[in-house]
Order: sequence, then C-alpha cells, then structure tokens
Amino acid sequence: MILGGFAAGLFGSLLGLGGGVLLVPLLTLAFGLSLREAVGVSLVAVIVTSSASAAVYLERHVANLRLGMTLELFSASGALLGGLIAFALSDQALAGLFTVLLLYTALTMARRREEPAAPSPSGVEADGIMDPVPGDLGEAIVTPEVPTGTDVTPDRGIAADLTGGPGAGAAPYAVRNLGLGVVGSLFAGVMSALLGIGAGIVKVPLMNLAMGVPLRVATATSNLMIGITAAASAIIYLIRGGIDPYVAGPTAVGVFVGAALGSRTVHRIDVRILRWLFVAVLLFTAWQMAGRALR
Amino acid sequence: MTVRRDLDRTVARLLTGGTYLSVGLMAVGVVLMAITGVSPLAGAPAFDPRQIPADIVALRPTGFLWLGLLVILATPIGRVIVSLIGYLASGERRMALISVAILVVIGVGVILGVAAER
Repeated sequence: MILGGFAAGLFGSLLGLGGGVLLVPLLTLAFGLSLREAVGVSLVAVIVTSSASAAVYLERHVANLRLGMTLELFSASGALLGGLIAFALSDQALAGLFTVLLLYTALTMARRREEPAAPSPSGVEADGIMDPVPGDLGEAIVTPEVPTGTDVTPDRGIAADLTGGPGAGAAPYAVRNLGLGVVGSLFAGVMSALLGIGAGIVKVPLMNLAMGVPLRVATATSNLMIGITAAASAIIYLIRGGIDPYVAGPTAVGVFVGAALGSRTVHRIDVRILRWLFVAVLLFTAWQMAGRALR
Repeated sequence: MTVRRDLDRTVARLLTGGTYLSVGLMAVGVVLMAITGVSPLAGAPAFDPRQIPADIVALRPTGFLWLGLLVILATPIGRVIVSLIGYLASGERRMALISVAILVVIGVGVILGVAAER
C-alpha cells in the first residue's frame, strides 16, 4: 500500500495529475476497497499533497489567497453536499462517475500540447493537468503562458478586491466573471467529495479561461483551495467511518514521498512517452471501472 | 501589499508545519503497523478521539494514525483561522466574513456528519 501510494504520488507528480485519479482506481481495483472507502483515503492524500504544494506557492506569492478563499467558500459548500450525497449513492453509481472522470482525464492528457516547459519561475502542483516543471515537493505542472492582460475590466465590488498584483506568478491581472467562478467552484466541490479528487481539472480552466486569471496563478490558487474543499467532505467521511487509518496512513506517506521524488526527477525524464503510456493505463482502468459500474 | 505578503508567508508556514507533522505522525503509525504485524487491510477500530492519547502512550499504531489524520484535516482549517485573524487585524471586513462563512460550512459538515451517524 505504501508502494501503491508512492507510485500514485510519483506518477501524479511526473504527469501533472492529482493523486485521486490514480489512487482511487488503485485502491478499488488492486486492493479491493469499496469506492467510498477509496475516496475517503484519497481525500486525505489529496490534502497532504495540496497543503505542501500550496505552501510553496504562497511563499512565492503565486497563489491568490483572497480569490482562493472566496471561491473555496463555495467549493467547500459543494464538498459538504457531495460528502452527504456520497453516502447515498451505490458503489456502482460512483464507479460510473469515476469512469467518466478517467475518460475525460485520458482525453485531456492525449490532447495536451507537447511543448517543452520553458524556464520560468517554477510552481508547485498537486492537482490539475499541466506540464511538469521541476522544483519542490509536488512541484510540476505549470505551462508557461502569457498572463491574461491587465486590460480586462473587473467586476465591480468584491472582484475588485481579488485582483492580483505583480509578483512571482504573473503580471497584474483582473478577476472577472465571479458568478461563473462561484457556480464552477460549487460543482468542483461536489465532484471532489464524490470522487476523492482535487478537481483542478475543473477549477484551473475555469479560473484561467472564464475568470481571466493567469494559468500559473489559477493552478496555485486551485491547489490552495483543495485543502479546505477536501477537508469539508473528509470530515464527513471520517465521522461516518469512511476513512480507515490502516489504509490512509501508508497511502498518504507513500504519496507524500512519491510526489517529493517526482518533483525532483521530473526534469531528468522525458515524460512524453510516459504520458502516452499513462493514457493507455487510464483507458484500461476506465474499462475496468465501467465493468464495476455495470456489475 | 506588505500585509498581504506577510499573511501569505504565515499561512505558508502553517501549511508546511501541519503537513510535515501529520506525515511524521502517520509515518510513526506505519512503522508501528509493520513492527506489530498489522495488515493495512485488517480493518481499524472505529474513530474514537478519546482513545487517541491512550493509544499513543501504549505505542499502538491507531493512536498515531488517527492523530496524523486529525492534524492533516485541521491544517487547512487552521489556515482559514489564521487568515481570519490576519483580515481582522488589517480591517478587511469582507474577507473576514468570508473566512467565518467557510468555518461555518465546516462546522455544519461536522454537525451533519454526527447527526447522520446517529
């Protein structure tokens, strides 16, 4: 189980995936846990990696704490809802949802641009799908991109407070479409709680494309949000007996060490072949998970 | 801007400390599992916070594992509390209110979780 967590952390870090999308299938298909048990353990692992990486992002002033806290009010509310729904859904229904997530992740990885990561201030990542860059724990995954320009007109009111200043992460930028961000965060929270993922796959594009937040900042802020989002539902899992410490302990330790190693070796490895291999693994896992859903 | 950066730094330190403490506690629990021959699939006793101190004193794996889990769950919540203090100190009422609202959501989760389990 430690090795399984280590592998999930290592490959997640190398490929820019969150741990959940790898851990949940591993725990269910290889170790025979129920989907709900696996999701509970995965939420713990996701908090471990996201807290470590969010700390580095904050230290470098890449993450937008105000924006993250505003959106996480809604992602945590969604997670609360999802945590309650999860105990009402059957294992088959959760497996069906996870199959869709695996297929979507495989598609996103297959379509990812093959550009090498340019030297840029490195960021950290425990979540989302982006290109790896070497660095600290969980560090990976930030595609260099021209920050969204300063000519964007922010929403009035609270959005003006969330505007990011120049820093290690990006040039100044203005936050827009906060309403869309609220709805998207709510959805991301529900998905996180149901599937044991960080849901960066939802939040990063939402903040970057719809809200005008530079990709590096969106990735960092998404990471920051994961902790409280996952904690909101993990508490429900914990109280309702959905987290087994004998499984969660070894897995979390393995993920932590694997993610740390991955972040330090990613610059020495050509991840393109690994990425395509992993697309195949994801598709195979989706097939297995679909079989579980149709049981 | 300096206030924002100071808060960022304080929160970052809290997250780092919480993560390392939690992983350290869980690692001790894992080592004790290996020493006592407990399989990860053995099925742990139900969560009982009152039992944790006694388990730790007796060097039982569950004590360290549960405490590590509690620390990692408390770390993001601690981050919100620290942010709340920072926002109150700097007079940012709107962000302080958002921080309180997040804590309320977490509190509601605890209450609903306990209610559903009864």
